[in-house]
Amino acid sequence: MSEKSRLGLPLWLLWSLVTVVLWGTWGLVSKIASDGVDAYMNQLLFTAGIAPLLVFVGWKVSRGGPGEKRAGRGRGVFWAFLTGILGGVGNMAYFEAMVKGGKASVVTPVTALFPMVTVVLALVFLKERLGRVQWVGLGLAFVAIYLLNA
Amino acid sequence: MAWLGYAILALVLWGVTGVTQKLSTNRISSERSFLWFCWAMVALSGVVVVVARPHWGLGTLVVACSVAGGALNGLGAWTSFKALESGGKASIVISLISLFPLLTVVLAVALLHERLTWMQAAGAVVAIAAAILLSLEPAPAKAEAQSAGV
Repeated sequence: MSEKSRLGLPLWLLWSLVTVVLWGTWGLVSKIASDGVDAYMNQLLFTAGIAPLLVFVGWKVSRGGPGEKRAGRGRGVFWAFLTGILGGVGNMAYFEAMVKGGKASVVTPVTALFPMVTVVLALVFLKERLGRVQWVGLGLAFVAIYLLNA
Repeated sequence: MAWLGYAILALVLWGVTGVTQKLSTNRISSERSFLWFCWAMVALSGVVVVVARPHWGLGTLVVACSVAGGALNGLGAWTSFKALESGGKASIVISLISLFPLLTVVLAVALLHERLTWMQAAGAVVAIAAAILLSLEPAPAKAEAQSAGV
């Protein structure tokens, strides 16, 4: 049985709902900021916002985690760093879409379709297979892009 | 429709991070991976300062929103890990979290007075459904074969 929060909700549900609120609000504040900040300046300020978390996670990592292997750590760090670079440039593109007049209520659902690229890449490069549900999702993603731009 | 090109660029880049993140967390802990993700953001910001020469002298509200964007995004990533660590099934947690654009749509319409055509509103709903379906991992082949009575 999963652990419960003080509110009586399972902890995983509470953390999931908090995530929805945090990321959902991120879309809103990005649109407000896009009224007066360019994508480059936003990247700097965005990083300033993430800095306290960097310190906290850095402190946790320095204390050492359970059972992390040393073998392959360099490669793991390389992929994590590349993820940050691609994610950061992606953030800049997301922000620029709003600077160029894209509505938060349209840009955010479009960019939230990014798993369609991940599943195709995983299919081609990681030799993963797609379930029927994911194929349906992929088809719906194209329908969504058409509708959002109609 | 210049915004669409940037939104699709963000979608593609974030889609690639789905693969690079997996390649990273196959080798190191999610916390170490997140730490190096943050360092990459810092490095990218360094490049932005040197190459792009961002414009300074901004209003308090837009600066606060940009910084808040980074904090909300980073905290959201952290709470999503916490949801998975707290015993939530990945398929349920990821599906639930994929609903975050819905909140952005609601907030943008309510607070920023954005107006959607019915096609765009339908597109937003289909996009969120697609993101949920795409995020569902296919069942392992063995389990699928058993359930099919093979």
